[in-house]
Amino acid sequence: MALEFLSSLSEIEIIGGLTLLSLFVGGIIMAVGVIIARTVRVLFAKYYAPKLPQDSAKNFGKLIYFGIIIISFLVFTSTTGVDFSGLLVAGGIFGIVIGFATQSVISNLISGIFLMIEKPVKQGDKIEIVGSDVIGTLLDISTFSVRVQKFDGTIIRIPNESFFTSNIRSLSSTPIRRSEAIIGIAYKEDIEAAISVMGKEIRKSMKFVLILPEPEFRVKELADSSVNIEILVWHPRDDWGQVGPVLLKVAKKALDDNGIEIPFPQRVIWNAKD
Amino acid sequence: MSEETTGKTFSNYGLYDINESLELDLPNTEIRIKKISENVFSYSRQNFDDDLIEKIIPIQSSKLQIELCPIRPLNFPARRTNHMYLDVDTPVFLSENSSATVFLRCPIEIGVFFVHDGHKDSLDCFTCNPVDSRFCLYGSPESGTLCKYAKTEIVESYDDSIPFINAVLKVNLQNTLSKGLSITKVVFPVSSNSIYYKDSKSIIDSLHAVLKKKLTLEIIDVDFEKIQTDFTLSPTYEKIETVKHMDMGVD
Repeated sequence: MALEFLSSLSEIEIIGGLTLLSLFVGGIIMAVGVIIARTVRVLFAKYYAPKLPQDSAKNFGKLIYFGIIIISFLVFTSTTGVDFSGLLVAGGIFGIVIGFATQSVISNLISGIFLMIEKPVKQGDKIEIVGSDVIGTLLDISTFSVRVQKFDGTIIRIPNESFFTSNIRSLSSTPIRRSEAIIGIAYKEDIEAAISVMGKEIRKSMKFVLILPEPEFRVKELADSSVNIEILVWHPRDDWGQVGPVLLKVAKKALDDNGIEIPFPQRVIWNAKD
Repeated sequence: MSEETTGKTFSNYGLYDINESLELDLPNTEIRIKKISENVFSYSRQNFDDDLIEKIIPIQSSKLQIELCPIRPLNFPARRTNHMYLDVDTPVFLSENSSATVFLRCPIEIGVFFVHDGHKDSLDCFTCNPVDSRFCLYGSPESGTLCKYAKTEIVESYDDSIPFINAVLKVNLQNTLSKGLSITKVVFPVSSNSIYYKDSKSIIDSLHAVLKKKLTLEIIDVDFEKIQTDFTLSPTYEKIETVKHMDMGVD
């Protein structure tokens, strides 16, 4: 019964030697191919992906999945016995046309491949794209674009080509980072005393500031109204939020508590007749 | 169970069974545990800055058991590293092919564990010396190792720990180089070292530091050694990846 059914299918020709039976067999091959691809992807995700960086694991997963699908398709075409050469020539010409029309898409794809090979940054890194307002956490590098979650919580999508050609500042590649602040004291004040009280207050109240390298104080400028002191402190790379935004507050508190004047901008005007 | 230190009486490390309430006095810190209803206890910890931590503990039985003990100094102000940097206030000079044993104070933190059914669950952890609980970098900013920092001093024996502030660590120093050197600091992965306690004293597994030549570099190879003691082993507060030893550069 089943043999008769298959035999009847083999007699029905759809187009150029492609019978209904070969199409049926091809369908089974593709279905098996998809099942194998999914199974391999699941096994890969379970046993091997955890050992790889997240973005590499994701891309390898895609490569394996689509690789098996393509192999299944090639097996399917070879079993049908249909001559696809005419279709390939037409497809080639069509491909060139599409290539010109989708230049930026191809460019993003190629840039994405190079980003995956070069790995200037990895998923989860804190990055800044110099010259733009993009600063945040890299979520992923996918085929055509990169997604960055800014510190305000919003997510920005950047085309791979644009990301690849940008200057990328990594905020996560070293164990520590430095924060800076500039504060001015009056000319009449003792610079050493001001530095001493600020150093003590930073040591006491800023628990993420590193003991070594020590906080550094530099006389930055003899400005119009004040002697400007630059404060440079190091902290663990992920704790900028505990240091950068509060450094000036701590320095001001130290100066205020010790009666050291932070002057207002002032200008003395001499009258020519005097 | 109590210990008098610098005129003030503090509680001791150990297991506490609580039927109704318990008050523990530690340096700069007070812990209060009391029964608020059948099978429910409240836990509160207040430190010298008036920071208050409160928790509710539902339990299966009518009695609460906790363990107060020293833990590795890795959790305050935040968990960032497994390494400890002990800055020795008086450097130890080792002449060529010589060895010495010193006892150093090493900071600790305090862990409170909820004991039930043979398990010890982390309930709280804190430091009684927050001002000196800071980080430092060993090495260069590009590739150095982030460490917890402590200024330390050499003491005479295991009896010299300061309750709830630090423990005593024995360091066996050995110089196999052909010149004398001063040792000013010891950097090591403290996550490998267990802490033990008795009353209000605490000690840490020993270190074995060998000054030697590795290719053209002179290094200090720091490894840990388990100690045999009648002190009680503290439970582990943090989940750790064990790092066995550390190679320090010689200054």
